[in-house]
Amino acid sequence: MTNLDLNGRPVSFRSPDDTPLLWAIRDEIGLTGTKFGCGIGMCGACTVHVEGRATRSCITPLAAVAGARITTIEGLDPKGQHPLQSAWIELQVPQCGYCQSGQIMQAATLLQDYPDPTDRDIDAVMAGSLCRCMTYVRIRKAIKLAASKMRVGSAP
Amino acid sequence: MNRILHADDRDSGASLPSRRGFLIAMVGTGVTLGFARPGLGAIELPSGEAEATPAELFEPTIWYGIDREGFVTVNVIRAEMGQHVGTALARIVADELEADWQKVRIVHVDSDPKWGLMVTGGSWSVWQSFPILSQAGAAGRIALIEEGAKLLGVGSEACVARNGAVAAGGKSIGYGDIVVRGDLRRSYTEEQLKAMPIKPPDERRLIGRDTTAIDVPSKTNGEARYGLDARVDGMIYARPKVPPTRNDSRVVSIDDAAAKSVPGYIRTLALNDPSETVPGWVMVYADSFVAASRAADLVKVEWHVGESGKVSEEDLQRRAGELIADRNGGALVVDDPGLDAAFAAAKSTIERTYTTSTVMHFQLEPVNAVAFEKDGVFEIHTGNQWQSLILPVLAQALARNQDKIVLRSYMLGGGFGRRLNGDYAVPAALAAKLAGRPVKMICTRPDDMRFDSPRSPSVQLLRMAFGDGGNVTAMDHQAAAGWPTAVMAPSFLFKAGNGALYDPFSISGADHWYSVGAQRVRALRNDLADRTFRPGWLRSVAPGWTAWAVESFMDEASHAAGADPVAFRLRLLDAAGRNAGSAPNAVGGARRQAAVLARAAQKAGWGGALPKDVGLGVATSFGQERDMPTWVACVARVAVDRGSGRVTVEKLTLVVDAGTIVHPDGAEAQVEGAALWGLSMALHEGSEFVGGQPKDTNLDSYTPLRMGDVPPVEIEFLPSTEMPVGLGEPATTVVAPAIANAIFAASGARIRHLPIRPGAVLRALSNSA
Amino acid sequence: MIGFLALAWRPAILPIDPPAKTSFPAELIASGQILAGAGYCEVCHTRQGGEKLAGGYALRSDFGTIYSTNITPEPETGIGRWSLEAFTRAMHEGVARDGSHLFPAFPYDHYTKISDEDVEALYAYLMTRPPVKATAPVNTLPFPLNIRTLQEGWKLLFFRSGRYRPDAAKSAEWNRGAYLAEGLSHCGGCHTPRNLLGAEKADHAYGGAVIEDWVAPALTDENPSPAPWTQGELFSYLRSGVSPLHGVSAGSMSPVIHTGLAAVPDADIRAEAIYFAELDHAEARTAATDAAIKKALATSALGTGQEYDPDARLYAAACVACHYNAGPNPLPARPELALNSALTLSEPTNFIHVVLEGIGTRDGGPGLVMPSYAALGDADIARLAAYLRRTRTDRSPWTDVETKVAALRRQAASAKPE
Ligand code: FES
Ligand code: FES
Repeated sequence: MTNLDLNGRPVSFRSPDDTPLLWAIRDEIGLTGTKFGCGIGMCGACTVHVEGRATRSCITPLAAVAGARITTIEGLDPKGQHPLQSAWIELQVPQCGYCQSGQIMQAATLLQDYPDPTDRDIDAVMAGSLCRCMTYVRIRKAIKLAASKMRVGSAP
Repeated sequence: MNRILHADDRDSGASLPSRRGFLIAMVGTGVTLGFARPGLGAIELPSGEAEATPAELFEPTIWYGIDREGFVTVNVIRAEMGQHVGTALARIVADELEADWQKVRIVHVDSDPKWGLMVTGGSWSVWQSFPILSQAGAAGRIALIEEGAKLLGVGSEACVARNGAVAAGGKSIGYGDIVVRGDLRRSYTEEQLKAMPIKPPDERRLIGRDTTAIDVPSKTNGEARYGLDARVDGMIYARPKVPPTRNDSRVVSIDDAAAKSVPGYIRTLALNDPSETVPGWVMVYADSFVAASRAADLVKVEWHVGESGKVSEEDLQRRAGELIADRNGGALVVDDPGLDAAFAAAKSTIERTYTTSTVMHFQLEPVNAVAFEKDGVFEIHTGNQWQSLILPVLAQALARNQDKIVLRSYMLGGGFGRRLNGDYAVPAALAAKLAGRPVKMICTRPDDMRFDSPRSPSVQLLRMAFGDGGNVTAMDHQAAAGWPTAVMAPSFLFKAGNGALYDPFSISGADHWYSVGAQRVRALRNDLADRTFRPGWLRSVAPGWTAWAVESFMDEASHAAGADPVAFRLRLLDAAGRNAGSAPNAVGGARRQAAVLARAAQKAGWGGALPKDVGLGVATSFGQERDMPTWVACVARVAVDRGSGRVTVEKLTLVVDAGTIVHPDGAEAQVEGAALWGLSMALHEGSEFVGGQPKDTNLDSYTPLRMGDVPPVEIEFLPSTEMPVGLGEPATTVVAPAIANAIFAASGARIRHLPIRPGAVLRALSNSA
Repeated sequence: MIGFLALAWRPAILPIDPPAKTSFPAELIASGQILAGAGYCEVCHTRQGGEKLAGGYALRSDFGTIYSTNITPEPETGIGRWSLEAFTRAMHEGVARDGSHLFPAFPYDHYTKISDEDVEALYAYLMTRPPVKATAPVNTLPFPLNIRTLQEGWKLLFFRSGRYRPDAAKSAEWNRGAYLAEGLSHCGGCHTPRNLLGAEKADHAYGGAVIEDWVAPALTDENPSPAPWTQGELFSYLRSGVSPLHGVSAGSMSPVIHTGLAAVPDADIRAEAIYFAELDHAEARTAATDAAIKKALATSALGTGQEYDPDARLYAAACVACHYNAGPNPLPARPELALNSALTLSEPTNFIHVVLEGIGTRDGGPGLVMPSYAALGDADIARLAAYLRRTRTDRSPWTDVETKVAALRRQAASAKPE
């Protein structure tokens, strides 16, 4: 039994504690916004936040996140209107969409550490997030758009 | 609000046009896949029972309905895999219908014979649907105006339809009210439909303007539902043990002793597949996917492996070379008289061979499916591009009639042609049948890769004859590769002039629009490839390799002729003879290809001064099929590092003429994605067969394009009001040859194999030195 | 021989009736609790998933596996019948109440330095814990090491009894740090290399050692990290598990910080930091730190542009999203690998461990979790190791990494609790 906080609610997982967080979230809880792409931590489709930081859930066992605060794409913003999500819609980023939960969750960590990211920062932090539809050009634009909105929003 | 209705919304019946709603139905699908079936068009007014339309008789296709609240629900038979196809198609209907866009919804329908051929591929969706949906929309508009006029008590000439309402003078009535109060029964013949007054382009209100694609918001908040997200009550999970070869492995023994220690493990069973889609497959069942996956790692299966278990990439290429060397085989797809004479009389000739490696689809969502039987009907929940292809196979596998099998559509976590081949539905269905309960089969990534239908490796030999003054007098193109269509859809094979059958999708692109004098195109089926694996259609299909060869060769030919590569091509794109083009799809012919080429060259600064070891390379193509050409040209600017052979792509400039652009922003996204696919396959992808299997099974060694690999990409569409054609693939075809040609321009290194690796550039550099 | 044996068995100290909890003053218990934290009693005396302090934790050594004992005040299986005198003798001399010698896995060679008052406080704390009935499994030491009487010989050779003696030349804080580090915290137990008989090499104190298949890095200036372990870095690390210029705690150091030292006040942590910063000669080396950081950060984005090196692409896809740093200083939540001792140590052991096992909420620092990359193959992990060693350090390449990955993977699998 692993206890943790999922999208602001306490949950107890019945799955064995070596179960990857991804499958526990998807199949035990039924939150399917987090996707499965490679299973070896190299595509980013399964990215969730652990204590606010982007983490590949496909290779993170439940035991490793006992007691932690987990956020999935469904919990990033109560209305789905995180500045990144709005920018994603405004610039029509998703194609098949399968990678995009992970992209957005990863980008959120990027902006937390680098509120005004350069192309180099984006290339580096997003390097682990594969988009097979190759929406990279728009992801880059949308991250910058969201960043500028967030900076305005947080100005004193 | 625009939204997508899901399978289970529909089950509840809540969002369907109500029974008393207004449905426009049509019979026949018109043009399909370029293999036209004559359709008897008619607009049927339902007696209220859309489902009861005698499907066997009319094969009606129901495109949209309007309910009592005026909501328009457009039925989309195409798979949503990132092209926002539902939005594009709904915009076509809504524009002609003069619907209120805020009240338009889409629904991705289940497989049912009434929809006709269900396939999403070849960038055909918009092109095929445009006339049909426009006519359907126009018919609806006219019927609504007629009834609206009656209800308003005015003549229909006095009425205009706009924004979901019919108005005359100061009065207006909404479509919903017309549905409730009017008598919308109408019937049209195909002739009448064809004559429907389609609005002139300048009256379009939705087509050609940007909008938020209906599927996009759900793809930013986790709501979009893919095959992987399907679930039904009481389902168990299964993961396959994929056998060592695609076609000729037989199970000898299964030992699951070690798997029994995995909590949740249920059992392991060998599948018996009468359809021979998945011979030698073994299914490992458990109560969770994690347990199934871990147990599968512990289950030991011994297979008897046939001959193909020894085949390597080299063997495949060698076989292709043998086929080309044999002057006798193959299909003569183009066979002008006088070719041999032209070569015999030539002042000079050049001959080059181009090759490409195996390429994997790596759609991000590994294939999966949920299958179960309910009330005598087998349901398969999955994302699929070509329902019509897999239904008969499923029928054979399950030994039951097609009408007792239904495919429920989910979004696709990437298609790229992988899911034209719905083979993964078969093991899921068999697993459910065997278990006697609902089963969700999920392939891990390595399972998915080993089960992929990769793009076949190819070998192509090209020859050109020059006459006086460097004039091109003849061109010969021979291409050998695996033929997906021969393996999976043999009824779609074409017959060549010499009587031989061939896979049009494995040679298209070689039948280019250049005027080259006497031309010959010979298509050869790599039988070893077809035996070893199941070749697949992969984004842009044959032109992924044919355009690579043609456009690299044109570059080499221009240098051989001492001409500028752009000028050389422009001269050959003279739009004469068979390259003049024809209505409706190829109006203008090669003239339009010349236009995109010239514009791309100009835009990219062709002919300007460049730093040392930096070069521009150009390539142009017509996308995929001659009968629906999308004209595209690309200029690549690259820098070559002579020390390491590293190629840095500094910029890609693309110019496209795709006729009318229904959804400009979406079109740009498609071209962006396609161009980057081209880049990825040019420099970063490419696998090989080792021991009958693709060598790369996950991202540790298969290395598709990532964020940092993306150079600036500039895209321009030439304005056009011609028939809209495909956008999902054409740009893929020009990037690799443009890069190779740019490498040559920068460094003198000529590359003739895809993918281009730094080592090959180094070798070519030392050859050119 | 007879004389030796006679000497080798000490007299038993009479059992007592377990003292009443109320017989211990509350302040004494409270200070004992802090001391117990500083000595990580609970870390070694609790098996995974077991009751606190009830023993059974398996300590793997070169000599075999030793299981810790039950130190709850349970009369039959714990230390309920131990008098303060017996407890003090165990701490100071390594002799159990019944007179048998304790194995030096119990670090009495350090505990001998603890003052009588502190031992009494520890006693008060332990004797007021909930009693748990639990017997530790039998040790797997091979003959003759399993003969406890032989321990006397070991003691004669290596053990010097005696309390800590302050160094008058040093500050009170330094002395406090030294007292804790040398005594109760027994840092040398892991960080000092041992001789063939398992005794710490006195002439190479804190020189770094291998313990439980991890490398406990040197705490002297032999430590190969590019940045010295300054007072500030040490304090941050010992307090939270994270040091911005070195990385996060992992392996057996994690519970030391999160279970043990968590109970210890800042002042004591700072004292230990002062002691070790001096040992590391950090002061003298700080001048070079800025340059080292700069150099390290210059490598942070390597592999993420247009890149063809397959190893670089592997690293970029799997690791950079978290380990990337821009700006003048690495962020605490983005351990900068070019500064991390896992890469500069002479063996890839710690690197492999972390890659295979990841960092859970119980390791590392607050809010930091690293997934387990065990799903990558041995060859891939070896590629990662070689690539990072090559591009992030100026050390010579590691050898046989793939074999070492395979070995540690097997070990991890066999060490899994049932
Ligand atoms: S599925 Fe987790 S990183 Fe690919
Ligand atoms: S949108 Fe399809 S994989 Fe990124």
